[in-house]
Amino acid sequence: MAAPLPDVTLLGALPPLPSLVNARRLRAQRLGRGLRLWVPAGILILMLAMCFVLPLVASLPSPTKGDIIVNNEPPFSPGHWLGTDMQGVDIFSKLVYGGQVAFEIGAAVTAIGVAIGGTLGIVAGYFGGWVDAVISRVLDILIAFPALVLALVIAQGLGGSEIHVIWALSVFGIPAVGRVTRGATLTIRGLPFMVAAKLSGTRGWRIIARHVVPNIIPTIVTFSLLGVGIVIILEGALDFLGYGIPPPTASWGNMISNGQQILSAQPEYVLIPSIALLVTVASLNMLGDALRERWSTQ
Amino acid sequence: MTDALLQVDDLRVTFAVGGREVRAVDGITFTVSPGATLAIIGESGSGKTVSCRAIMGLLPTGTAIGGSARLRGTELLGLSDAELRRHRGSDLAMVFQDPARSLNPTMRVGLQITEAITTHRTASKREAQAQAIELLRLVRIPAAERRFHEYPHQLSGGMRQRVMIAMALACRPKLLIADEATTALDVTTQAQIMELLLELQEELDMALIMISHDLGLAASYADEVIVMYAGKIVEQAPAAGLFGAGGAVRMRYTRALLDAIPHLERPAHTLLPVVGGRPPDPTALPPGCSFAPRCQYAEDDCRAKVPALAEHVPGHRWACWHPCENGAAPHD
Amino acid sequence: MTDQAGPGRPPGEVLLSVRDLVQEFIVRERGGGKAGVVQAVSGVSFDVMAGETLGIVGETGSGKSTLARAILQAPRPKSGSVVFRGTELTNLRGGRLLQARRHLQFVFQDPFGSLDPKWKVRSIVDEPLLAYRAGGREARRKRVSELLDLVGLDPARYAGRHPRELSGGQAQRVAIARAVALEPSLIICDEAVSSLDVLIQAQVLNLFEKLRGELGLSYLFIAHDLALVKQVSDRVAVMYLGKLCEVGHGEAVYRRPLHPYTKALLDSIPSTEPGAGRATATIKGEPPSPINPPSGCRFRTRCPLATDLCAAEEPLPRELAPGHVVACHFPLMPGTSVITPAATSGVRQA
Ligand SMILES: Nc1ncnc2c1ncn2[C@@H]1O[C@H](COP(=O)(O)OP(=O)(O)OP(=O)(O)O)[C@@H](O)[C@H]1O
Ligand SMILES: Nc1ncnc2c1ncn2[C@@H]1O[C@H](COP(=O)(O)OP(=O)(O)O)[C@@H](O)[C@H]1O
Ligand code: SF4
Ligand code: SF4
Ligand SMILES: [Mg+2]
Ligand SMILES: [Mg+2]
Repeated sequence: MAAPLPDVTLLGALPPLPSLVNARRLRAQRLGRGLRLWVPAGILILMLAMCFVLPLVASLPSPTKGDIIVNNEPPFSPGHWLGTDMQGVDIFSKLVYGGQVAFEIGAAVTAIGVAIGGTLGIVAGYFGGWVDAVISRVLDILIAFPALVLALVIAQGLGGSEIHVIWALSVFGIPAVGRVTRGATLTIRGLPFMVAAKLSGTRGWRIIARHVVPNIIPTIVTFSLLGVGIVIILEGALDFLGYGIPPPTASWGNMISNGQQILSAQPEYVLIPSIALLVTVASLNMLGDALRERWSTQ
Repeated sequence: MTDALLQVDDLRVTFAVGGREVRAVDGITFTVSPGATLAIIGESGSGKTVSCRAIMGLLPTGTAIGGSARLRGTELLGLSDAELRRHRGSDLAMVFQDPARSLNPTMRVGLQITEAITTHRTASKREAQAQAIELLRLVRIPAAERRFHEYPHQLSGGMRQRVMIAMALACRPKLLIADEATTALDVTTQAQIMELLLELQEELDMALIMISHDLGLAASYADEVIVMYAGKIVEQAPAAGLFGAGGAVRMRYTRALLDAIPHLERPAHTLLPVVGGRPPDPTALPPGCSFAPRCQYAEDDCRAKVPALAEHVPGHRWACWHPCENGAAPHD
Repeated sequence: MTDQAGPGRPPGEVLLSVRDLVQEFIVRERGGGKAGVVQAVSGVSFDVMAGETLGIVGETGSGKSTLARAILQAPRPKSGSVVFRGTELTNLRGGRLLQARRHLQFVFQDPFGSLDPKWKVRSIVDEPLLAYRAGGREARRKRVSELLDLVGLDPARYAGRHPRELSGGQAQRVAIARAVALEPSLIICDEAVSSLDVLIQAQVLNLFEKLRGELGLSYLFIAHDLALVKQVSDRVAVMYLGKLCEVGHGEAVYRRPLHPYTKALLDSIPSTEPGAGRATATIKGEPPSPINPPSGCRFRTRCPLATDLCAAEEPLPRELAPGHVVACHFPLMPGTSVITPAATSGVRQA
């Protein structure tokens, strides 16, 4: 570094600087960023394909009725590669159809949350004043409602079913999305380009549709991904408690619940659906984080 | 050469952005004498901050740095973190542009200064506190004992910048680098801070590198001025030789900069002499003079060969194939 | 300032007339309790004539942006009147306000902040045209191209870009194209070139001058840079802590400031002029809080000429020279100096 220096007058004529940049490090960085996005996305695509495409193309054993003769088969048994349960129902089938339930409920609750909660949040955040006061109070009340207790009440009164679970969990989903969108809208509302839009003559709903919504979509998408994961866990908890999807319809929650009775004898009954739940929720969270990182560095 | 405080030779800094090389600093050479004030001016992105951060060892790891920067003969580039920290404490200090963001908002200012003292030197808590209050007084903060216990948000922009200077002075550096230290401030506050810096410089016998894009500020406060464009020094002269009576800018870019600033003396509504375009993309610098694409005096040789930075007049270096006439009036 | 009708008043009709404009903000403590009222703009009056540029200078926090926003009714001022082209804006709402504001446009400081990052340049420039239904789709598309040409951006290259794909100067040109789209008569520029580099700033300033000539525009040009404001303005108003101290012809205000604050500001500017010497910090201390502004003259806590009278009585604006209005009990007449011994001591001479 302290090599003899050329005369200053020669500086401009020095040969071009060799590339000193650490290319390997740079490539590793870019690879890491790609992996953080595509690994969870790939896992989720596989899970979705397993749950929704596989039953259409392959003939899986029934997830509800089994042959009592082949009950309690261990994994890797012929015809039942994950084994069978106490009633002889194929565990892989239960996992697949239970996954359908989990994804459907997760997506439905989040969609309802985004549609209703998102609208309320944008309206509250954009218009402010008494509109905001009223909507915020309603959201506060909803969020204060213990979602599980409410779900129990609904299940007791109306009987457990997928649609009832969706409504019960929406009581939790709507205010959660509502609050996040309200916050995002408030941030956007104060930015100079919103003032500029108003002063350019654009009015109310058009500003919401053309300026607010496009700018908060990243926030909503990342939050929704996390939300689907949370809903799947809550749904599992409801099933576990016996107030969600009633057997014999398969769900990850009731698989775990049933499995616990013979946990010590056959831990895989609990382990298999638990792993499915864990992998799904973790992938959703990781995908949400990766997307947020990507959008924030743009 | 031997009596220089800081000697920077052929300093080069290259970043990798999106797989392409950004030559942020492309071979700059200068010296700072003890107690002197050097101004580095140039548009944003010309490499002022990166040069100084390289000297301070504050660039992200993995950045390619070449050349040499010696402080009283000790090479600074390539020092380990621990050695650098020692230098940063005792010889070198830097004040940044944004006083709001350089202070920790959750910590009382007194504690932040105290920490700055104790990271460089072992001192008892009480000693360090007493010294912190002393520093606040040094930077002329009234009611120093009270301010000691306040949070950054309770201070104005000017006060925060004074606190930053106090922290930088914690270990009586021999060289203070002020990177756009007054850019975010009002003219009146700027004048106060600049006066403070000059007074402190005399009190502490400290050299100052002031980075700025304000030529007026450089003209008023610096002994020597360096003009940077696209990572290179394009002109260097004593401030008086550049702006003062009889002085003359020779490099076309410096001339353009000087002409483009509104002056109180100009009548209203007169058009400013402008230069079109904007600074070159640092990943794709033109082959010849970097200013050639925007220079109205550019000829073929400008586009083919890089003009060398040479000392054409004692103390006055410039890099231009077709410089302005000595003492030339601003072009129309 | 009170009415400035008089011999010094520029010819032409009054385009914008602001009277006793007041804007306040309630600041709350963490718990939500009221901590105080920021008196951001406290009784400001001035006129802008057709074809004229009025500059407003002042330090940070003096209320320049608040004033600009109050004139635009975003948000509406607390009290006072804003008459633009004969229409009182302060009591208009909805569509009527929109129509009245059609010829009153704005350019803000942060070129990127004031452009929606999700929009393309062509939609941004089209926004006011669409909102005011200025022609059909095809006509508007042609107009957008014309406008981009006018501000020196090649439509073919830039119309399809997002703001993040522009430089600061280009982004500000887009904001200017949007501002002139509806052929306004007045543009309020709030620090419109302050974030740009000198060379780019000069380009944009020249663009403002060109548009002034070609479109017969008036500007209300707000900035903290005194030389910049002088460069573009016919008349200049100096603002301090929510009030105007001095209004007058640019040349007069800068050559012979009558208000001690104006003088102090001018003395603080560093200059590249040979022999200008070093700016001397002629002003001590910091501006007081706008929550509890000083009684009487708001500048008195920093004014070297302040007396008891300044604390007791608010100085009213007086026209001391034709068209030159000053709010001070002891205006600087020739021979007066505000440079106190304390302020000059310790200053090295350049
Ligand atoms: N929404 C608000 N709530 C509370 N106080 C505010 C608000 N907006 C502005 N203020 C206060 O009003 C005063 C004037 O602010 P304003 O932004 O108009 O100043 P300015 O002259 O434009 O300053 P700058 O040069 O920094 O842009 C300041 O004290 C500011 O803190
Ligand atoms: N961490 C970094 N990574 C990549 N490029 C950088 C980084 N920091 C600065 N640069 C680039 O280096 C050049 C010089 O920047 P800088 O020294 O900050 O300019 P200025 O003269 O405004 O202080 C610019 O082109 C800038 O984009
Ligand atoms: S070398 Fe040529 S292009 Fe570069 S500044 Fe001088 S005259 Fe202009
Ligand atoms: S009124 Fe008094 S305090 Fe105010 S500026 Fe004039 S002399 Fe100074
Ligand atoms: Mg910089
Ligand atoms: Mg402002």
